[in-house]
Amino acid sequence: MDPRGHLDGMLLAIAADGPVHGYAAAQALRQRSGGVFDLPEGTIYPALHRLERAGLLQSGWSTASGRRRRVYRLTARGRRAVTSARGDWRRFSAAVEAVMA
Amino acid sequence: MSEFLERLDHELASRRVRRSLRRRIALEYADHLACDPDAEARLGDPAELAGAFAAELAADDARRVARNAFMALALAALALTTGQLTIAPAGGYPGYNSGLSTALAVPAILTILIAPQIALVAGSLAALRALRTRSSRRLPDAEVALIRRRSAVAIGAGLATCAAMMLYATDHTHQMAGWWVALQLGLAVAAALALTMVAVQARRARHTIGAVPGPSGGIVDDVPPLALVVANPRAACVAAVLLAGTAGAVLGSVAERSAIEGLERGTFEAIVVGVCLAVTLRISAGAASRGRAPHC
Repeated sequence: MDPRGHLDGMLLAIAADGPVHGYAAAQALRQRSGGVFDLPEGTIYPALHRLERAGLLQSGWSTASGRRRRVYRLTARGRRAVTSARGDWRRFSAAVEAVMA
Repeated sequence: MSEFLERLDHELASRRVRRSLRRRIALEYADHLACDPDAEARLGDPAELAGAFAAELAADDARRVARNAFMALALAALALTTGQLTIAPAGGYPGYNSGLSTALAVPAILTILIAPQIALVAGSLAALRALRTRSSRRLPDAEVALIRRRSAVAIGAGLATCAAMMLYATDHTHQMAGWWVALQLGLAVAAALALTMVAVQARRARHTIGAVPGPSGGIVDDVPPLALVVANPRAACVAAVLLAGTAGAVLGSVAERSAIEGLERGTFEAIVVGVCLAVTLRISAGAASRGRAPHC
């Protein structure tokens, strides 16, 4: 299943649980979806950059095992966007469920 | 460096993504591959990933420059209006030949009359297109180029306006009150600095190639009522000349506290607008006869 239409909202939801780097975000996406979402992992990074340019995430370098790692954190605006996206999704999924049931 | 990282860097470089950003992207993917060396097969096609980075970056950068240019132009507009509105208490219009040099005053006055109008139109159109397309992640290259071009014209005309304001104030240092010269110079310098910062930003962002096909759209897409102007260009130009002349006469009368001065300024404004519109019509007619619509 291709979740690209909802990728931004899901990445923000993952970042809402704490600072995250690209690989961890890809793993979280795979694990939380029970392996259902099968998108190329590389597409996470353009999305993270886009969310950062939009002011929803902020990022900085850290070091892990001697490597440089870009870590993303939710901004206050991003936190509001997650709340809004969750509400929108609940309404949307409830409406789809009502139609499909 | 893995084959994936090499190809990704090559694709990003071919789309002229900034070197500093390319380095950051490479480090992020390198960290990903270090976490899981088998992930290379799951990352996706480097060309598609580079295309996504470049297309979104080109669109976002063009829109950001357009927004910032508009804000910097607002500062230039504030400098110009403040200077004009305070000119009466500072001693009134000194005339074009009473300053240090007429050779300085005439180009300064002509620039102050023409350049702000170009900056206003180009800056507003750039900002409007940026606003209209704000929800689109990617824009066709032609549309990005259009926004960049409008922003560049607006920034150039804004800088010319600031330079003319500084020149005019300097030329009339002895005729005008000291506080007016200082105010005009200070505001013009501040606006010029803001515009220069945006110009630097625009210069840094101007190379990225999104490689997204599609048309740019034209001015009628931004301002639909202009379809009427396109249908009746001569009538619209006459209306614009009358409107500009009337506005110039009214504002000139108020500023100068003299109906005759106002009438003179209104007439001059109408002539300037008329000439500009006549040139525009001529260019448009030339472009149409060559079989292509003007993109502005």
